[in-house]
Amino acid sequence: MTTDTPVKPRKGKGRAKDQRPEPALPDLGPLELLRWGWRQLTSMRTALFLLLLLSIAAVPGSIFPQRNIDAGRVADYIAQNPTTSPWLDRLGFFDVYASVWFSAIYLLLFISLVGCIVPRTKVHVAALRARPPKAPARLHRLDEHAELTTSLSPDEALAVARAALKRKRFRLHSHDGVSLSGESGYLRETGNLLFHLALTGIIIGMAVGHVFGWRGDIILAEGDKFASSAGTYNTISPGPWVDTESLPPFVLSLDKLHVEFNETPGRGFGQPRLFDAQTRLQRDPGSPASEETVSVNHPIAVDGADIFLLGNGYTPVVTVRDAKGTVLYREATPFLPQDGNYRSLGVIKVPSASPKQLGFTGFFLPTAEPTFANGPASIFPDAKNPELALSVWEGNLFPGGAPQSVYTLNTDEMKQVTKADGSPALVRLKPGQTYQLPGDRGSITFDNVKRFAGLSVRTDPGAPISLVSAILATLGLILGLTIKRRRVFVRVRPAADPTATDGGAGGRTGSPATVVTIGGLSKDSDPGLAAIVTAIVTAFHTTIDTATATAEPDRPAERTES
Amino acid sequence: MPNSLAANANIALYASMIVYTLAMLAFTWHLAARAPKVADSKVLAESTVAERELVGAGAAAGAPAPAERRPATPYAAGPAFEESLRSRQRGSIALMLTYLATALLVASVVMRGVAVSRPPWGNMFEFATAAAAAVGVAYSVLARRNRWEWLGVFIVTPILLVLGLSLTVLYTEAGELMPALKSYWLGIHVSVAFLAVAFFTLAFAVGVLYLVRLRREDKPPAKPGVLESLPSAAALERTAYSLNMVGFILWTFTLIAGAIWAKQAWGAYWQWDPKEVWTFVIWTVYAAYMHGRATAGVDPRRSMYIALAGYVAVIINFTLVNLVSTFVGMHNYSGMS
Repeated sequence: MTTDTPVKPRKGKGRAKDQRPEPALPDLGPLELLRWGWRQLTSMRTALFLLLLLSIAAVPGSIFPQRNIDAGRVADYIAQNPTTSPWLDRLGFFDVYASVWFSAIYLLLFISLVGCIVPRTKVHVAALRARPPKAPARLHRLDEHAELTTSLSPDEALAVARAALKRKRFRLHSHDGVSLSGESGYLRETGNLLFHLALTGIIIGMAVGHVFGWRGDIILAEGDKFASSAGTYNTISPGPWVDTESLPPFVLSLDKLHVEFNETPGRGFGQPRLFDAQTRLQRDPGSPASEETVSVNHPIAVDGADIFLLGNGYTPVVTVRDAKGTVLYREATPFLPQDGNYRSLGVIKVPSASPKQLGFTGFFLPTAEPTFANGPASIFPDAKNPELALSVWEGNLFPGGAPQSVYTLNTDEMKQVTKADGSPALVRLKPGQTYQLPGDRGSITFDNVKRFAGLSVRTDPGAPISLVSAILATLGLILGLTIKRRRVFVRVRPAADPTATDGGAGGRTGSPATVVTIGGLSKDSDPGLAAIVTAIVTAFHTTIDTATATAEPDRPAERTES
Repeated sequence: MPNSLAANANIALYASMIVYTLAMLAFTWHLAARAPKVADSKVLAESTVAERELVGAGAAAGAPAPAERRPATPYAAGPAFEESLRSRQRGSIALMLTYLATALLVASVVMRGVAVSRPPWGNMFEFATAAAAAVGVAYSVLARRNRWEWLGVFIVTPILLVLGLSLTVLYTEAGELMPALKSYWLGIHVSVAFLAVAFFTLAFAVGVLYLVRLRREDKPPAKPGVLESLPSAAALERTAYSLNMVGFILWTFTLIAGAIWAKQAWGAYWQWDPKEVWTFVIWTVYAAYMHGRATAGVDPRRSMYIALAGYVAVIINFTLVNLVSTFVGMHNYSGMS
């Protein structure tokens, strides 16, 4: 977008020490080519281009479903778009933020950033030590300038200017007896560098979190107990350098999950209002339990890890018996909510059933819409009229013995159980009801329903690094953007025509008259610069000996604006 | 129940819309008086031409970069432009109406907040209203000091549009918050977000005017019109930059505060949720603008296009990302379902 300009690449200010017109290009050796490439990469224009590219590259990740957020939605998307999705997948559109092209952009950006701030830091450190530069010859060519004649001697005039600039916190130096150089706003570049340095700090914090952090998720039904160890989490994703044998050994039991939904009809009907998990926590297996409440926005801390309440749902308690009445299965089985009204999907696997294994799959509906006109649906998220709606399958539950999710039923080697008339058997149960499976296959009973809490245990040792860096970055940004780098020069010379002061102020007639020239320079648009030049002029006016000051600051109109 | 308070909040909202409409008309009326009279216009045109030559000469002698092009006075119309008494009076009336309308709008937001006993920006309707109020306040505070009467119509009209849309399309009854929003970070993260949006909005309006004004300066019309009574393109560009700069700093803070809150609510400070993605996109686009602005040799016009693109991303972030189901994420707080 911005790099195709015909303008020759120029370095941004601050990095531009060696800004000279490029000569007719000689043949570049490999080293020169490398140096040229490095200069291009670390130029401000490249940074600008990469920033724009990064912003464009980030967008697809918000449009296409992402594996790192919801692998299920990615699978659905691929199933619905069989022609385009293999290509999208190959190009990394379902893992945008881990894709080669996205990584390439941000890595280049950070190389460019480091390649920019290192030399800039050197330059800045040198500038911090250096004296303000010599006053240029023609001060009236600077952005802001003024000239006045005073009856003070040149030395006295310089002293007045010096005092005025000192008050404005300028760093001052006189290179010769007739001029004064002042510079201020070093914090601007300090802030700039701090900001960019802190950005690398954020990235380092992210990397540390990625390598040393871990998260484990648990689905815990009311009344159940969970003992933390590598094998007990439903899913655990440790960083590459995490020792999963040394996870905090806490024990957590869920006594009650308080849930409230909005029951006022209208917009917002059914929206959640309250999720509170009442738990008992033992920090290690031997220690006494303490009562703790986990709720959204209020995690509890254990041994450097935090326990978050991230989800909730229902676990219907279901009993499956064989034809003789022997209990084959009795468990609180979590069903995962699919929509805002908690239409929940789940699977019941009964491997001990004979002669063939049994599997049930279907929905739990907390407030069932009774007609099922549009399939099983729930009309409210709270358990006002709970119902289970399941289809029944028999055959081999675990084809090939491959590991599989507890929330899906692999029906490759199963077939649906039918009633005597050949229609598929559909189980619809309210709490307490029992369904006799066709053909002496036994029965299924929906005993009751409990809530579950979706808990997530997470550590991120990199987060404090990122946080401190982010705060420093903001501070640096504010300094770098609001402080102005200014140079002000003052030069004195004896007035060519001594009569210039005679009539004025009635001062010491015959005393030497001095012409004072003031020039100010700023690197950016800077309305404050004019005020500083004016302040120096005013300082001369308030000095008693001032004679016909002919101050003529430029651009009077600008002072009143912006 | 504090429903009567919520009802009063709505009445104040309607009242503020009526007054904003009057302010909009008054600003238009003011612009009509602003256009230089035919008698003055000749002087004006001449001074503009003279200045252009001056600028041209300066550019030839100095650096060729267009960034260096700074007219000697902020008003390219030059000292010849004197705002007529009539124009000033109308501008004052319009400003007074804007103050009144903004006060009503702020009152409405405050009453809504008291009615629901929480920061009144928990759903899209509330956020839109509060953001519109922030734009109104930011403009009101800055307008008189900077003599921004010319900007009024370009600020008040979008405010009216947003208020109208939020009442007709986004309206949500006063109610309790979702658990995820029950945190003091709602007060911090969201309020800074719409303050940033307020500054970006002002900067956008000034930025568009800058581009129009720049075009007019490149091809001056035979007879100067309202546009010639505006500050020069260079001054408009500086104003837009200052506003964008404030917006950018606030947006950086929004991003960081959001990450801190996300860590508390979801256990991870950054998960590439669509809202996070777009907040990041906005940040990088405005960062690119800041870089372009700071790079010698990048045409400020191009930089301004980047800033305008950033504002488009702000709008997308608030509309599409909240409402379209493609962008399903964890920021589902629009209250629209």
